[in-house]
Amino acid sequence: LVSSGGLKMSGGTRLENANPVIFQRSGERLLTASEEDEDVHDPIDDREIFDILSINDPEHPLSLEELNVVEQVRVKVNDAESTVGVEFTPTIPHCSMATLIGLSIKVKLLRSLPDRFKIDVHITPGTHASEEAVNKQLADKERVAAALENSSLLEVVNQCLSTRNI
Amino acid sequence: METREAELKGLGADFVFGFVQSMDGERDPRNLLLAFQIAKNIIHRGYDLGKFTEELFEVTSCYFPIDFTPPANDPHGITKEELIEALRAVLSGTPKFAEFLLPLIIEKLDSDVQSAKLDSLQTLTACLSQYEHKDVAEFLEGLWTSLRREVFQTSSERIESAGLAALTTLTSCLSRSVLNSDSEDSLSTFLDLVLKDCKHHLCEPDLKLVWPSAKLLQAACSASNRASHIITAAVMPSLIDQYSSRTQAPVILIIMTNLFLSSLLCSEPMDQDNNRVASEQYSHHAVRQRCLSALAAVSTQPSIVRESTPVLLEVLSSAHTGNLSGKMDPCGFLSGCFHVVRLAGQTASRAVSLFLDGDVSFLPDNSFPSHIQLLKQGDSWSQSQMVCLLMGCVCSLPRSVEVPQIDQLLSQLEEMSCTCSHPLSYTSAAKCFAGLVNKRSQGDSLDSLIQRTTKRVCSELDSTSSPVRTQAFTLMIWVAKALLLRYHPLSTALTDKLFSLLGDADLGAMAADGFSLLMSDSADVLNRGCHADVRIMYRQRFFSENSAKLVQGFNAAPQEKKPNYLKALSNIVNKLPKQETVLLLSLLLEALLCPDQGVQLSTLSCLEPVLINPPPALIQQLEALVSRLLALICSSVRIASLRCIHALSRFPEHEILPFRARVLRALARPLDDKKRLVRSEAVQARGEWFLLGSPGGR
Repeated sequence: LVSSGGLKMSGGTRLENANPVIFQRSGERLLTASEEDEDVHDPIDDREIFDILSINDPEHPLSLEELNVVEQVRVKVNDAESTVGVEFTPTIPHCSMATLIGLSIKVKLLRSLPDRFKIDVHITPGTHASEEAVNKQLADKERVAAALENSSLLEVVNQCLSTRNI
Repeated sequence: METREAELKGLGADFVFGFVQSMDGERDPRNLLLAFQIAKNIIHRGYDLGKFTEELFEVTSCYFPIDFTPPANDPHGITKEELIEALRAVLSGTPKFAEFLLPLIIEKLDSDVQSAKLDSLQTLTACLSQYEHKDVAEFLEGLWTSLRREVFQTSSERIESAGLAALTTLTSCLSRSVLNSDSEDSLSTFLDLVLKDCKHHLCEPDLKLVWPSAKLLQAACSASNRASHIITAAVMPSLIDQYSSRTQAPVILIIMTNLFLSSLLCSEPMDQDNNRVASEQYSHHAVRQRCLSALAAVSTQPSIVRESTPVLLEVLSSAHTGNLSGKMDPCGFLSGCFHVVRLAGQTASRAVSLFLDGDVSFLPDNSFPSHIQLLKQGDSWSQSQMVCLLMGCVCSLPRSVEVPQIDQLLSQLEEMSCTCSHPLSYTSAAKCFAGLVNKRSQGDSLDSLIQRTTKRVCSELDSTSSPVRTQAFTLMIWVAKALLLRYHPLSTALTDKLFSLLGDADLGAMAADGFSLLMSDSADVLNRGCHADVRIMYRQRFFSENSAKLVQGFNAAPQEKKPNYLKALSNIVNKLPKQETVLLLSLLLEALLCPDQGVQLSTLSCLEPVLINPPPALIQQLEALVSRLLALICSSVRIASLRCIHALSRFPEHEILPFRARVLRALARPLDDKKRLVRSEAVQARGEWFLLGSPGGR
């Protein structure tokens, strides 16, 4: 559809993956006593990042979690070192939405985490034909920033990141 | 015998022998009465029976059971009952007769004649209270077989209850035995017999033997602590299993409850030696506590509570006599129960006469002092706190049921609530008073009562050095609530007093909290479940009549008193539908500046729903609102504040867009808050503000 500043995207209006496999949503995180204790510090953990990533899929009325595009086991955060890494698995190996999905994840993290964090988003190795190219785009700060200046792209990203009415 | 006892005793066993010979064959009832009297004296006054014990027994017991019909027009008026009593006094007079008497009783219990059965059972009960376990040990099986038969195959209620009483006495007798390492424990041997025959019937609740079995077990349970421990331990586990799996649950429930109640009732005198008593007492109290908690859990059925009411009133009487420690808490339990179940007027009038007049006549097994004073504090608050039971009882009655002696009751309750020093007691008295006032019918007597109470309460409150200011305050607030609910015009005097107290040095904060009490639903009194007179929209009415007063008071108050006004306001406003909140927006915004955390929190929680559909007035105040909310996002009320900022994102876009950059910047900091809950709110809020005014956003 659109490409700008180096981020290449292809894709028509037709849904590529009309019948995805659906995975069950995990339950709500349970509250612990220490989480209610004002004096105790709760470090940022993988589950917390995973919960932040409850993002819509651009093609489906389902979330990325339900499509198993993001899984908690592929989220790694280190609060003390201010690093977070997310591997995501596109629904099919030629999914043209891969870049968009990766971008949405990156943006969501940028908006939700303190400035100190270094954010790494990449495709689960071996799950996509163009993973190297996509990973390179996602890792490039300037290209990401420029992409977000594009209002059509931003629009799609924002749609992914909007909370749905359940 | 009256005058020459020493000489007669000096004759030794010969005297007894002589007496036996002269009594032999006597048939005239007048002579028999006299003879029985003499025999009784011989036994009770310690005459030496020598080797004539059996003879003495024979010559008297041959008349047992008494079968006597007085002739018509009998000039002497001797009744069968007199003879029975007199003979019983002889036969049960000494354990020396046990070896002869017990077989006799067992034999006579076999008779088909009802009166013979009854006499046997009653005589048995009489003698067992004197006997030791060694006197009965060899007869246990025979006695149990007979008693069991009388209850299982009973045709008469009198006989059944006599049989149960005999079982209780027998179990008590066995419980009195002192255990040492080489003696057999006759109590547990006996209870094994009982359990063997009764326990399995409890597992068949559809067969008719379940009730007699249950009654027998209860009778044994109520004899002593040890017995109740043994029986409940043996029986409860299987009952509980059954309860959860059976369709006959109500039956099981009633059985369990009755067993609990019997355990509670056993009033064993605590005059044994120290060590054993201390630990037994402790575990006994613990068991009672557990019984009560269990009873609270199972008492959801009206039939059960009806059964337990007289027994529980007895429990509270035990508290008076000091048999229970102050740790008991029947209050919560009973208040809860009575709240659920509608009580008939009869129970209420019993409760009232118990509390007002100390009338214990209706309590079962009445051995309590006849003049309990439960509405006076006296020495122990364990007694005065029982007023909460009274409250549970009389305040949940339907309005159609008249509470007897109500004026006297109200007067004593008022006195107690104003003078008692124990918080639970004076608060319960105040609540009880209020509950009654709320339902009292309109008219001059109600009005003059209210005026008197108001005057008393206000004069105590006006005197800052009064020792009962808190008590007066408590009474005031509950009465105010009672009147407010029913739209009574005299409520204003009390609520005005409450407003004026917001500036009081000692009671100011309590007054602010008092508004919460006025507006909230109370769980145990003055609610619809208790048939209280609650008019619709009373909160809105109160608010609309008083909001101006509140705002004025706030404006006029010195800075350090303003938090009380704000707290009062937020307590009121919290309970109102949100349209009303809108009227007080300026005040609420002002409240956000207040350094008091409680005020901040209640203001924020008031504000949040208003922000969902903001009125135009609020939109004009956006700058103030945003600044003040942002100022709070790192404070102790940051979660509430973040939620408000999240809600703000729903405002009309063109109004809040100017604030977007500032909010996004400010929200960066709570993203790194040490608490996850805070971070989570911040993430959501910030995410929404990002989408604002952005393509693809909302």
